[in-house]
Amino acid sequence: MSILLHQQLLCSALEVIINKALALNTHGSQTLAKLELHTLCVHLSELGFPVNFTVSANKVLVNSSEEFRSDDELFCRIDTSLSTLQQLKREQQLTELIKQEKLDILGNIKIAQQFASIMENIDIDWQTELAKHIGDVATYKTVQAGKFVADKVNFAAQQIQADASEWLIHEKQLVVTKNKIDDFNQQVNEVSAQTEQLSKRLEKLHQQLSALAGEQG
Amino acid sequence: MSVPEQNQAENPQEDTTHFGYKTVDKTEKASMVAGVFHSVAQQYDVMNDLMSFGIHRLWKRFTIDASGVRPGNKVLDLAGGTGDLTAKFSQLVGPQGNVVLADINSSMLNVGRDKLRDKGLVQNIEYVQANAESLPFEENTFDIVTIAFGLRNVTDKDKALRSIFSVLKPGGRLLVLEFSKPEHELLNKAYDFYSFNILPKVGELVAKDGESYQYLAESIRMHPDQETLKTMMENAGFEQTSYKNLTGGIVALHKGYKF
Repeated sequence: MSILLHQQLLCSALEVIINKALALNTHGSQTLAKLELHTLCVHLSELGFPVNFTVSANKVLVNSSEEFRSDDELFCRIDTSLSTLQQLKREQQLTELIKQEKLDILGNIKIAQQFASIMENIDIDWQTELAKHIGDVATYKTVQAGKFVADKVNFAAQQIQADASEWLIHEKQLVVTKNKIDDFNQQVNEVSAQTEQLSKRLEKLHQQLSALAGEQG
Repeated sequence: MSVPEQNQAENPQEDTTHFGYKTVDKTEKASMVAGVFHSVAQQYDVMNDLMSFGIHRLWKRFTIDASGVRPGNKVLDLAGGTGDLTAKFSQLVGPQGNVVLADINSSMLNVGRDKLRDKGLVQNIEYVQANAESLPFEENTFDIVTIAFGLRNVTDKDKALRSIFSVLKPGGRLLVLEFSKPEHELLNKAYDFYSFNILPKVGELVAKDGESYQYLAESIRMHPDQETLKTMMENAGFEQTSYKNLTGGIVALHKGYKF
């Protein structure tokens, strides 16, 4: 048992983050009302303990209770891993993952679908939120400064990449250009074709020698 | 600091009990404990955060997790104080459920009631001033009873456990969250130093009441250790009793079922 109760610490942090995000959501949190007192239990193999998300009074409560409520219409449990969740998001291959036993869903699947829909639809207007704290003008200037810095960083990153390529290819000659690799590949192919031809000729000569030896014998 | 030997199945002399390290008449303890909590009620939450560095919130979360509470349950938060557990339970049991916040101390109950109302938690919470030794509820009423950092202040703990057993429904569970005995000697020494040298000074500084926090440290040392409390619960009729040490045994969560 850890000194700081990491399970409870994680749940506490998740609860604060989720509710803050929901409070800042530009689409509002009315959709949560449909899930009142419903619980989604996510058991990720990497974590080793379940994380329950329960909706109550337009808030999401997060805990790590191990209580399993298989008979409950208000409960849905998903057993999976983080990597599988990423696949699910990318390929929408729910049935396939269940068949491969990478994902197991027990209870009311609609709860999981509704939770996923709410989380996907969270949209936060960061500029408006920032303006509440530092004012419109300061926000505008901060955003412009942010864009300027981002552009500079991107430019610098591209420049560094180009310079590094130059240094590796031309100065240190540790890496070759794509053209050189293509050229080399073409030469290898030509040598391969010539070798093939030579092999065929040798085979033909061998057959001719064998035929001559048979006639003389 | 010499710590009196832990006795804990209450004092051998029938008429006396412990108030911290002092031996007092059983009839006096409740009013002496009441004095402590009347004094600290207003600063209770701030002091809890300061004394435990906020970890008491995680201990309480652990208790909620272990309770297995579900919508519609009836919960008794005994010695519920300022209502930390009640707040969470209220949200989890929903409008079909019910949470009773009970405390022997009216000041604590008032602070708890104000705090929960400020949070907008009103619909499924009742407030009852009650003594844990003789609970004013019908038998087989609650699905869950919790007592967090309260049992050590009860004069007759065995009687309180029997009373809790009586008000639990068959299949119901009791969760006792309480200070206990640290598992490692080094932690025990550090904890002793903190409790007797720093805690009363923080109490003096913040709550203007060093004595109450001196009592807190002493009452923790006089509380039954993990195994003794488990046996006391079994003697009261609880089954499948178990406990989990939290933060190295500084706190333990005991759990028992009524079947």
